[in-house]
Amino acid sequence: MDLGISALSYVNSIKNAEFTVEEFISKSLERINQVDEKLHAFLRVNDLVIKNAREIDTKIKSNQNVGKCYGMPISVKDNICIEGSKTTCASKVLENFVAPYTSTVISKLNSEDAIIIGKTNLDEFAMGFSTEFSAYGPSRNPWNTDYVPGGSSGGSGVSVSANECIASLGSDTGGSIRNPASFCSVVGLKPTYGLVSRYGLVSYANSIEQIGPLTKTVEDSAFLLNIISGIDSNDNTTVDNKNQDYLNNIDAGISGKKIGIVTEMTNSEGLSTDVLNATNDAVKTFEKLGANCEQVSLQMIPYTVAAYYTITSTEAGSNLARYDNIRYGYEFDSSGFEFNSYISQARSKLGPEVIRRMILGGFVPSAGHAGKYFLKALKVKSKLIAEINHVFEKFDFLISSTVPIQPFKFGEKIQDPVSLMMVDFNTVTANLTGIPAISVPYKITNGLPIGIQIMANCLEEHSLLQAAYALEKTVDLPKVPV
Amino acid sequence: MKNLVNEEEISEVAKLMKIDLADHNDHIKRVQKMLEYFDILDNAGVESEEITVQETDLDKLRDDKYNPYDKNLLKFLKSYQGKYVKAPKLN
Repeated sequence: MDLGISALSYVNSIKNAEFTVEEFISKSLERINQVDEKLHAFLRVNDLVIKNAREIDTKIKSNQNVGKCYGMPISVKDNICIEGSKTTCASKVLENFVAPYTSTVISKLNSEDAIIIGKTNLDEFAMGFSTEFSAYGPSRNPWNTDYVPGGSSGGSGVSVSANECIASLGSDTGGSIRNPASFCSVVGLKPTYGLVSRYGLVSYANSIEQIGPLTKTVEDSAFLLNIISGIDSNDNTTVDNKNQDYLNNIDAGISGKKIGIVTEMTNSEGLSTDVLNATNDAVKTFEKLGANCEQVSLQMIPYTVAAYYTITSTEAGSNLARYDNIRYGYEFDSSGFEFNSYISQARSKLGPEVIRRMILGGFVPSAGHAGKYFLKALKVKSKLIAEINHVFEKFDFLISSTVPIQPFKFGEKIQDPVSLMMVDFNTVTANLTGIPAISVPYKITNGLPIGIQIMANCLEEHSLLQAAYALEKTVDLPKVPV
Repeated sequence: MKNLVNEEEISEVAKLMKIDLADHNDHIKRVQKMLEYFDILDNAGVESEEITVQETDLDKLRDDKYNPYDKNLLKFLKSYQGKYVKAPKLN
């Protein structure tokens, strides 16, 4: 049995009775036991998976209706709530937090008979790009365990790449799905803002974050998007996508499409030569497939990282104010404390990156500083949206590398906050403007992956996935060495 | 010359955010570096730009009706009495 199969192949194999759900889930658990001590993709594995698998096998055998997922094992980033089970956000402050309700995306997966195999590691409260900020220790890149897997949905990327599960759900605030997808050589899709319900996702920067899939193939991302997308009365930012089928005609090709190569993302200071070569190569591939590629400049790009951190820190400062030890927190009594010192005491246990973002988030919108930082960041965002709208009048897609560099070694960037911020130079534009973006595995150079990012206009996931599929079909990558 | 945001200003904001910097003095330098990088926003030339906001039509909101919530959320709290949450004394 090949644990590396795609979601679509898994469904076919189950339908053809090549193996049972229980057999596949048991093998997946074995694999987790084998490799996860080293990789640390999972924070917790679901104890009930074998029972769930047997229930679905029974349904299949007795010809009852079975959901589209046929019991496939899916991992979920540990900032997405499932009623009755822990959701820690990889923070000590939520170490014992049991979610009182289930997120919409999980309800949708459950109703299609997916099996949630476990909760995956992340940078604490999804703030970071390497999982080095997880309070429970980092995940490791299956391509080379001396290197980071990317983040913040690092555990999700690792779990799919290392064949510990079929697919995963992550969240993307500034590249947190696409970055680990690129670093671990899997597909990662950040949908249009509002296409997927955020109900039950622990808030960090609600105005820009989205839940999305990390998968082995582009088709699998389309398959999962079909299930998790759509309007939800519990999240009034969701849009009605009229049950669009993203798998339909996914092989339509991209002949005649216009692709803009984002100049600022192909000549940025921190861009590695290997990554630039891979990007140029991908452009040539698109041209061979019949697309017309030309350079396009977006003047606001150089300011996007500063604008992104300003806006997200402000929202984080407000969202994380709830971790006050009264509603969420640690096991220590309030008696003997004065109000402020009690809350300070509780917050002192938040990790260093979270503390810094909270301080930043208090500073940049404060009286006397808002004009210089927060309001200017919002203006950059507005102008960037106008530029993007203008560009998509002429182009169908934009292309860049997903990350300007390849995976880096543990400890290499953590000491320098500015170089750590620059890791998301190519990804934040999609978040600030709400457009969809996908990372497609493209190359393995020096034993480490490089992903290519394709962006499209809002709600153009259908054509975006067609473009990603066309690119994917041109590459043949080695198997993960773990 | 770069005009660094001074440490006192950052400390004051941290205090207002109820973050005790006694344990966290090393953070100030990093926050300073990040703020220094944010100076790049001054070069964006967006002073006269309008801030656009996302609008949601009222008819897109869910119905304004009472949905009873039957789960006992209080039981998730560590410290409560009857219907009340226990919190430390406010000075």
